Order: sequence, then C-alpha cells, then structure tokens
Amino acid sequence: MARILIVDDDTDLIEGQKAFLEKNGYVIETALTVEEGLEKAKATAPDIIIADLMMEHYDSGFVFCKKVRELPGLGKVPILMQTAAPRKVGFTFEAGGAPGREWMKVDEVLTKPVPLEHLVGKIEQYLSGSTQNA
Amino acid sequence: MPETRPAASLQTPQENINVLVIDDEEGMREGMRRVLERRGFSVRTARDGETALRLLEEEPADVALVDLKMPGIDGFKVTEHITRRFAGRTVVVIVSALATVEAAVEVTQHGAFDFLVKPFTPDDLVQVANRAAQQWRLIRERERYLSELASERNMSHQMIASMHEGVVVLNIRREPVLMNPRAEHFLGTHFRDGITLPDLFPDLEIQAAIEAVVDSVGGRPETRVLQHAMGEGGASASTRTGAWEGMLSVSVSPLMLDGERGGAIVIITDVTESWKAEQDKNRFVSMVAHELKSPLSAIINYINVILTGMFDDNPAKVREMLERCKVRGEALLDLVRDLLYINSREVGKVERSIEDLDLKAAISSQLDFFKVQTEKRHIRASLDAPLAGYPVKADRGDLDRIFMNLISNGIKYNRERGSLAVRIADTGDAWEVTVSDTGIGMSEAELSRIFQEFYRVKSPKTSGIAGTGLGLATVKRVLGEYNGRITVHSKPDAGSAFSVVFPKG
Repeated sequence: MARILIVDDDTDLIEGQKAFLEKNGYVIETALTVEEGLEKAKATAPDIIIADLMMEHYDSGFVFCKKVRELPGLGKVPILMQTAAPRKVGFTFEAGGAPGREWMKVDEVLTKPVPLEHLVGKIEQYLSGSTQNA
Repeated sequence: MPETRPAASLQTPQENINVLVIDDEEGMREGMRRVLERRGFSVRTARDGETALRLLEEEPADVALVDLKMPGIDGFKVTEHITRRFAGRTVVVIVSALATVEAAVEVTQHGAFDFLVKPFTPDDLVQVANRAAQQWRLIRERERYLSELASERNMSHQMIASMHEGVVVLNIRREPVLMNPRAEHFLGTHFRDGITLPDLFPDLEIQAAIEAVVDSVGGRPETRVLQHAMGEGGASASTRTGAWEGMLSVSVSPLMLDGERGGAIVIITDVTESWKAEQDKNRFVSMVAHELKSPLSAIINYINVILTGMFDDNPAKVREMLERCKVRGEALLDLVRDLLYINSREVGKVERSIEDLDLKAAISSQLDFFKVQTEKRHIRASLDAPLAGYPVKADRGDLDRIFMNLISNGIKYNRERGSLAVRIADTGDAWEVTVSDTGIGMSEAELSRIFQEFYRVKSPKTSGIAGTGLGLATVKRVLGEYNGRITVHSKPDAGSAFSVVFPKG
C-alpha cells in the first residue's frame, strides 16, 4: 500500500484529500508545517509527497522540497506541489516549464483545487514510474 | 553759448533722434542746426573736438555729424573715439570738403556710417541725416532683438536648469548636447564634451528606445516611455558609484528643429513612490487572489469528495465536511467584507462621520454581539471600566471595527473555559483599552508580523480557526487615522494582551 504525505497549512484541504485518498486505498500522513512535514517525511519514508507552496511564508513549499531532497532515501521521492497562488507572488516562476520544476525540485505543479480524479491519476503515474525505476 | 536742446517739432518723423553737429565754423554749425531742427531732429552743437567729447559724455548722441578738419582734436580722432566709446550707440556721419573725399572714405571704413561732401544743400543734409537716423533705428532694433533673444535663451536655460525633471537633449548623431543638473543627479554623471549615450544610459533597452526615436524614418516619430531602476538591484548599479537610487521613468520624444528631425529630448522623472505603491498594490492583489482561492479550494474539495458518493454510508462524516464548508464560506464572506472596507477607506469613498461617542458603550455592544460565541466556548468575558463615561471623537463604524476585531480574536484564539478581560484605563490625554485573553499566545517571531496584511499565525493550534489575515492590519490602519496606536504583549500558551491607545474626545 502506497504511503502519501500531504503537507498543507489548510486543515480542511488536508481533511478532504485525506478522506478521499484513504478511500482509494492509500495510507495518508499529514503535516501542517514545513517542520512537521520534514519530521513525518523522515519517520514514514513516503512513496509520494503532496506539498503546498504558500504556508508560513510565501515560499515555504520550496524550502520544504529542497530540505526533503537532502533527507536520506528521499532524494528521488516524487513531489507534487499544489498551490492556490497566482503565477506571480513577489517573484516570477513559470511552474509549467521544465526549468521551473527543476529549480523548484518538484516533479509537478498543480493548481488548487486539484480535481480528485486528476490527483489520483498523477499519484498513480508517479507511483508506477518509481516502481519501474526500482 | 549754452548748448540746449529745443523742443522737437511734433509733426516730423525724426523727433526722437538726438544729433550732435561738430564743426569749427559757426555759420556751418548753426545752418545745419536750423535745417535739422526744422525736420524735427534734436540738435546740439559743438565748436571743436574737446567740446564734442564732453557733450557726448554728458549724453551720447544718436547721430554725430563730424567735420573732418578741425583744430585740436580733429574729425578722425573724434570718429575713432566715438566708434570705440559708443559702438552701436552713435552713428557717425563725416562732413568734409571735396579735397578730402579719400580721407572721408577711409574714415567710413573705420566705423563712420556715411559722409557728406561740402558744399551741400539743405536737402543733401536732410537726406544723409535721415539715412543715419534710419541706421540708428536699425541698430537699436537689432540690439533690442539680440538682448531679447539673449534673455529668452537665458530664460530657457534657467527654466531647464530649474526643472524637477531630468532633461537630456541629444543631437541627430545621438550625442548628448545638453543635460540639466537634475539629470546629472539621477544619472550620477556630469555633462562633459564628448560624453556618449551609453555613458548616460548603460541600459540597452533605453539606448535602443532613444536610437529608435532619433533614427526613425518616415512618419511621425513617437514618444517612448520606459521605466528604469537605478541603484540597488538596478541595471546601472555596477557601473556607478554614488548614483541616485530609485525608479525612473524615462520618456524619449523626438526633437523637431524647423520641421526636421533634430535628435531627441529625454525627460527623466522620479517615479519611485508611485512605483513602490504599484508594487505594493500588485502584491496585495496577488495575496487577495491567494486568500480567496484557498478557502474556495478547500470548500470545492470537500464538495467533490462528498459528490463521489464514497461517504454516502457515513452521514456524520458528510455532515462534518459540510460544517467545514460553512465555516470556510463564512470566512470568505468576512474576507470580502474586510476587503471592501479597506477599499472604501483607501479610495475615500466613505466619509468618516465623527461623532461624540463613548468607548465603554462601544465595547459593551461588541461584547454583547459576541455573547453567543463566548458562551459556546464557555469563555468568561468581562469589562472593567469604572468611570461613568469614556468620551472619544470617532466614526462609529471605525470604533466598532477596532473592538470587533480585538474581541473576536480574543475569543477565536482563546482556550475553552478561558477568560477575556477588557479594561479601560486613563493615561492622561488618552484612553487605553486592553483586551487580554488566556489563549494560545504568540512567539516573538509571530508577534513581529501580526500587523501585516494577510499574515496569519499558522500552527497546528490555529489551523482550524477561520480568519482573513486583515483584522489587525485594519485595526492598526484605522487607529493611525485617529493618532491612536496598538501594542501587544503575548506569551505562548499563556495568552495575548492587545492595548489600544485612543485620544480622548
């Protein structure tokens, strides 16, 4: 059973996604802050991480991704970033482009609210990718 | 014989021309005087060079009729003196006998305007005198024109130098030819011969815009406007030291000289303030968009989950999710309400209506308004205000907004069965209202940001609490309009105390 870590400062968003994803057979861990997210990532070694962009700070999600990549065994864990932020928030990033994703060290940037089927589709896509690599 | 100027005849055209006749023969002198005065000239006479020079010192003549052959200082010397001393002021006409025509010509070449050969008829004299007078008028006109021109140029120069905007003028070869002090200040460089366009504007985009305006072929070259950051982070930061810092608006207009392209005029304006305001506004709008989308995302997400039908067998779970949708939807409504309030304040749509109000009454009514919430969470609310009245001059809406926010926070971030104490104290010329709670409190780092727009303390403890992130920012802003202020003391897990100082009314 695949383990998914959701890091988001919006409890309601987490609750909704957790309820849905658990029904789809995933094991869900959640965290509300970057700090908590890193602890959970270290402790549970998730197969995939879904992270918010703007949490305590407008770029918390980036900080989180960068730090996750430095954790042992998590250098290649797929990270899906979901955000309600408009394209420009004090800095410019072109989330859709490959260089942007490379710079942010995330595999995919999704815009909130992410349709549930789309979310499951993305999760499955990255899970199968990682099993192939393994 | 006293040398007096008779009143000029009014019927003649030469009434303003002041003539000095210099001749050693009295008959000739007086004859010329009569003829000229009859034509309206003002005439003085001198018997010799010495007298002539003295009279000229007293008052310069417009036209001098100089006899060439005189004892003492002769006509040559007098002419020489006049052309040196009164250049452009006195027109000299040489009067000489036929034998010295060559000499007269020579003198003419040395500054005399004309000559009159003896013997001459009164008509000859008048003709020469009229010509000289005409010449004198031309000279005066030209001088006046030149001096006007000079003062106009001087005026333009001073106007350009006094301008608040920077001005740079470039010729058709894109060479800077003029630069006012303000432009030197903005660009951090002084004008010097041979200075080039890139010396002034290292920024390639500005160079290109200027070149486009100067070089434009056909049609009407248009004005271009660009923004250019200077100093910290600006394009020119590395090339200049001590340069001005900020945001410049650079407008490049074609310089037209007699209908032909003659170069460009660059006007440089300091737009730092409006640029910063625009940046702030953009950031605010981005934040608003994010803050509107977040609750909507949560709500839509819940609804989508419910709509999958996967929780149809668990009505309690569905209800829980719907409750949260309601909470988030209401918070969204609050946010829109706060935004509208801020906007109405910003654009001055809503006039404040200042009334004599009582702080105690305003706070009491807010505490009553929140009674349901305090009771639901078993929070003990109290108001400690021993005086009969606490008069202030304020807009009722503003006062309500201030205490509504503080009391609402005191409830939301409190613990179950906590207390919410409001106290009004007299500090002399102001009232100090302290709203203390026994809730989750804040860390130093959190405290430093709570008055920023859209900042919300985010932790597991606050995660379920709805808020707009605008409440305290609005309170601070509104208080500022009344010369009031707000301070806060807080301890994590012990509680927070907000103190509002409001001037007495």
